[in-house]
Amino acid sequence: MALAPALPGTATPARRRAKARNGVVGSRAFPYLLILPMLALEGALVVFPILRGALFSLETEDGLSLDNYRSMLVDPDFWRMIRTTLIFTLSVDIAILAIGLSLALLMNWSFRGRGLVRSLLTIPWAIPEVPVAITFVLMLDPSFGVFNSFLRFFTGASESPQWLLDPVLAMLVVITVTVWKGFPFYSLVLLSALQSVPDELYEAARIDGAGKISQFRHVTLPGISGTLALLAVLAFIYSTQQFTLIWLITGGGPVDATTTLAPAIYMQAFRFYNFSYAGAIAVVGFLISAIATTFFVTIQRRLEMRE
Amino acid sequence: MSHASLANSPSRPWRFQAEPLLRGLAILVVSTVMLFPVYWMLLSSLRPSSDSLSFPPPLLPHGIDVSAYVQLFTDKPIAHWLMLSTLVASLTVVATLILVIPAAYALSRLYWAGRSAFGLLLLFTQMMPAAVVVAPILMLYRSLGWTDNLWALALLHTAFVVPLCAWVLKSSFDAVPKEIVEAALIDGCDRWKVLWLILLPLTRPGLVAVSVIAFFASWNEYLFASTLITKNDLYTASLGLATLMTQLDTPLFVLMAAGVTFSVLPVFFYMAIQRHLLRGLTAGAVKG
Repeated sequence: MALAPALPGTATPARRRAKARNGVVGSRAFPYLLILPMLALEGALVVFPILRGALFSLETEDGLSLDNYRSMLVDPDFWRMIRTTLIFTLSVDIAILAIGLSLALLMNWSFRGRGLVRSLLTIPWAIPEVPVAITFVLMLDPSFGVFNSFLRFFTGASESPQWLLDPVLAMLVVITVTVWKGFPFYSLVLLSALQSVPDELYEAARIDGAGKISQFRHVTLPGISGTLALLAVLAFIYSTQQFTLIWLITGGGPVDATTTLAPAIYMQAFRFYNFSYAGAIAVVGFLISAIATTFFVTIQRRLEMRE
Repeated sequence: MSHASLANSPSRPWRFQAEPLLRGLAILVVSTVMLFPVYWMLLSSLRPSSDSLSFPPPLLPHGIDVSAYVQLFTDKPIAHWLMLSTLVASLTVVATLILVIPAAYALSRLYWAGRSAFGLLLLFTQMMPAAVVVAPILMLYRSLGWTDNLWALALLHTAFVVPLCAWVLKSSFDAVPKEIVEAALIDGCDRWKVLWLILLPLTRPGLVAVSVIAFFASWNEYLFASTLITKNDLYTASLGLATLMTQLDTPLFVLMAAGVTFSVLPVFFYMAIQRHLLRGLTAGAVKG
């Protein structure tokens, strides 16, 4: 199957025929008419608000200026937020790929009930974020939560930690919940990547005397590296976009310990009503996403060329 | 593949003893840990109210009690919330299909200047965190008088799910063999007929996947709903549920029952079409 569509400029016979037929419906304008409604909607509700937000960030009491950026860049809270975002994003990314891959490797073995396990693992991915947040908040409750009773059972500790009041533990909690909700997708995608690695390669490696570990390093990993790279970027996007879980579980607290990019923008805008400062942070968020997009497209181009 | 394993199995009999057991055990342990929160959610919602605050909480049900669900539907306006969520999500699906079908057609089957730029724009909007635009959107909606308007909320949900859906549908259009389309063109179909008579009937699973993605993206969405909807009687389910969470008077087992009720539909649908959905999503991501 053609992975890359015919490049524009390469006139295949089919294309010449297609072009001739275009006259039936009208004109060269046809494709543009098809995308126009979508273009209008994306322009009005995504692109325009980004530009509007950028403009907010420049609006200060004495007209347009870079004051918001100046105060942002010297604000220790801003740098703290960037650090929190990086810690959160990288931890989620690494954990989700590691857990996703381990599970995919386990499930790559055919066993009875694999279909069932696969279906069951879809559940965390399919549960909406709001009920996920509710469930974990209740499970973590220090007085009656079930985690507390597990801890008592396994460690004998009588006091439960205040999961959501301790900055480090709260961070650990939001990372864990975000990973828990997201990992099935990564696992299932990796599973299908694993299944597409040709058996012959394993055969050859075995004949060459490769053990399990070197088979994994020299056959499995290269075979799924493209998928892994893409999933790493998807996980990056998934975690930088995360708002609902963090907001409902910790509200960005305690003392901003879990305030990543999205909650930070939200708080500036809707708690402090500081739209212009929120706009400045949003521009940073936009830049991060734009860089991630470029990175994503580059990887994908490279993969297409390799194929 | 089958040849290889047939040829192989007699020489490696040990594989069928220790390893499967260990793997089976590992899978069992991992699945149990991973699914425990789901079990706990379900269990807590079915526990008799007298049980719900006892500590340590019992790990097995002492009998099933659906009173939480009865209380949920009699005391809380959850039926109303679910109905509004269904309405908004259905509007989102309709709007998404209307926008996505022609666009995916243009992306997949037509050649035009600016196609890759449009593709990039889609990728780019797909990656934008909603939080980046939420404040300007609120300003825009206020000036248009569109706050507290479920139609306008659905439109916003559409704008945020359409890029992904366009990719997914494009990849199913791409999978229709060129020859079929060419044959139809030779037989005198015009461009619209190719779409209606050939592409759409052949890509029904893709259309289902796109509808499911759009429906549940809207059903689950919380950030925009919470900023744009202020009237209690316009609350969608995610919004209503989040307010139940912060109200101290909501009994825990009722809260859990609400969570379960809200999750049943997406879980059912995602499980039913997970294979297809994954294929579409990864095709959209990988071939992006």
